[in-house]
Amino acid sequence: MSLLSACASASKRLVTQGLFVESAFTGYLRTASGAVKDKEPLRKAKTPQGRFDMNDEKTKDPLEKFPDDVNPATKEQGGPRGPEPTRYGDWERKGRCVDF
Amino acid sequence: MAAVCTASRVLAKKVLSAKALPAISQSSRKLHFSVYGQNNSKVSDGMSTQYPVVDHEFDAVVVGAGGAGLRAAFGLSEAGFNTACVTKLFPTRSHTVAAQGGINAALGNMEGDDWRWHFYDTVKGSDWLGDQDAIHYMTEQAPHAVVELENFGMPFSRTEDGKIYQRAFGGQSLKFGKGGQAHRCCCVADRTGHSLLHTLYGRSLRYDTSYFVEYFALDLLMEDGECKGVIALCMEDGSIHRFRSKNTVIATGGYGRTYFSCTSAHTSTGDGNAMVTRAGLPCQDLEFVQFHPTGIYGAGCLITEGCRGEGGILINSEGERFMERYAPNAKDLASRDVVSRSITIEIREGRGCGPEKDHAYLQLHHLPPQQLATRLPGISETAMIFAGVDVTKEPIPVLPTVHYNMGGIPTNYRGQVITHTPEEGDKVVPGLFACGEAACASVHGANRLGANSLLDLVVFGRACAHTITDICTPGEKLSPLKPNAGEESVANLDKLRFADGNIRTSEIRVNMQKTMQNHAAVFRTGKVLKEGCDKMDAVYQTLDDIKTFDRGIVWNTDLVETLELQNLMLNAVQTINSAEQRQESRGAHSREDFKDRMDELDYARPLAGQVKKPIEEHWRKHTLSTVDPKTGKVTLKYRPVIDHSLDAEDCAAIPPAIRSY
Repeated sequence: MSLLSACASASKRLVTQGLFVESAFTGYLRTASGAVKDKEPLRKAKTPQGRFDMNDEKTKDPLEKFPDDVNPATKEQGGPRGPEPTRYGDWERKGRCVDF
Repeated sequence: MAAVCTASRVLAKKVLSAKALPAISQSSRKLHFSVYGQNNSKVSDGMSTQYPVVDHEFDAVVVGAGGAGLRAAFGLSEAGFNTACVTKLFPTRSHTVAAQGGINAALGNMEGDDWRWHFYDTVKGSDWLGDQDAIHYMTEQAPHAVVELENFGMPFSRTEDGKIYQRAFGGQSLKFGKGGQAHRCCCVADRTGHSLLHTLYGRSLRYDTSYFVEYFALDLLMEDGECKGVIALCMEDGSIHRFRSKNTVIATGGYGRTYFSCTSAHTSTGDGNAMVTRAGLPCQDLEFVQFHPTGIYGAGCLITEGCRGEGGILINSEGERFMERYAPNAKDLASRDVVSRSITIEIREGRGCGPEKDHAYLQLHHLPPQQLATRLPGISETAMIFAGVDVTKEPIPVLPTVHYNMGGIPTNYRGQVITHTPEEGDKVVPGLFACGEAACASVHGANRLGANSLLDLVVFGRACAHTITDICTPGEKLSPLKPNAGEESVANLDKLRFADGNIRTSEIRVNMQKTMQNHAAVFRTGKVLKEGCDKMDAVYQTLDDIKTFDRGIVWNTDLVETLELQNLMLNAVQTINSAEQRQESRGAHSREDFKDRMDELDYARPLAGQVKKPIEEHWRKHTLSTVDPKTGKVTLKYRPVIDHSLDAEDCAAIPPAIRSY
């Protein structure tokens, strides 16, 4: 709750004080909530992380990425991951047929 | 900076102008979404005083923003036409996004290839019901279309040399069927349709197309047999919009939702087919619906044949491996139509599984889990997400599922909608065009080959744009339209909005879907179809007794679903009546009581000495169906197949033969 009121008062200040305050403030927010380091850091974390927010484990994709995205058997670059989709005569991915 | 933007977004609402966002839009280019009260639109009172009607004038209107619609829309904008794209969904949410297969094109990157061989494969795949001039056009333009897509930025997968990688798929062969398997299918990893749609949408933003997103097209504005525009309902605020234009392109997609089990989105409701039907024009070949034998019950995703290839078996409620009775040698590996029919017969005879006894089981838990994980990675995830079963312990509920509609609005190879009379032959309907799954050009004929439908979208979307560019010039003056044009559509809307019968929309819809699934699915005989026609007629009559609940006009999804139900019903009655009349088996339409194809000559025997049957006595012809919307009565006429290609010297037409793979 205190974080929210801090946000509210901070936003009023932001309008007058501009970018400088904002960057310092968001830096504070990011370290406080322990947000995950992204490829490009968020300017401002969208919601404050609470105690009950579950740590979302990334589920392992059953289809593995090829090294450098090149299929070693067919030398196809940028092709579908995993076994050849057309090996059964239809276009199959993860057990689902999408075209036949 | 962020707070300033938030404040301006909150205050400005829909009225966004260049002044509010100084840093972002440097140019004076119009923003791509429509702003209420654009300078070419005016409010009119001519039609109704209760519903605000806004009139717009454009050079061309495209209904539908899937693959074909977007390609047509920006093709027209590129040529300088003032184009509107009216769509009930945001463009990147159209069902094209779900097409994960590839696109066929005879680029010749893997081995020497010729588009004439692709032409032969497609004609054969269509069981000689496809119009060979349209197929010639599509296969000849295929390499140009794919290269054009690639130039737009679509990230196809590549070979080591950097050329587009092509794989073997979809019944493609070399040297007119004699040279072995051809490698023609280009793809973008495993999301070709998604990538196509996003590429086309991104490309279309370069041009000045006006997008009217979440506008539900109600009807065509027809006057004297000419199409003068479209009338649509803005779902966001309930206003009616009339889009007047000299050229209307329909690209609304298929109508999978008439069946209980289909792979299509909930929005695939055949709106374009229904609009054309209500305008009094015919739809073509609606009885040809492509099924897949094993779609997950309830979800509609298809389970690959590889499951059966790896040892999965189909069982009925008695736990019996019923495929042994229908195909003693091939058993579960029989061809798709045999498997579909077998499952349907088991369900009809009362041995279906589940509380309603309406599906079969695909059992995989007798296979070692390691084998499943290595040979079919991801299937346990799919089964858990879509069927809620653990594939190593329980069987997956499956039943035959609709995947594609070969039929639709009849067009010629240029994308112009046609009608047919025996005296005059094919006649173009001025001002109306169609492309994509909604149209029937007809390149897929009686059966669609894999990876050909994405090609169909881009080639005919472009063809519509080229034809309109040839016929018209941008900025032409529009012919006058009656001030009360479209009032029947508004009257219908009003009637549905205040409908107070006894049966809900969802109940009527489920009745229709179950009737179609039981009677007009894979297993078709005269008796079953006749019974289905009578039941469908009864369900159609219950539309008069419909009850809706939401009386508002702003974002009334109850009303929109009811309008979609009306459209679905028109498609459904035409499908089942056309199927009942067609007494032969051809491609996707196979009947137990008429198992052979009936052509003008018997191609199974030597042709010398045979007499050609007149068109009334054979079935190698297109069905043209019309419906009287008030009674639901279907009238059928027929139209001959076009057997000549566009240029006989360049590409000889393929004479019919027995189709065997």
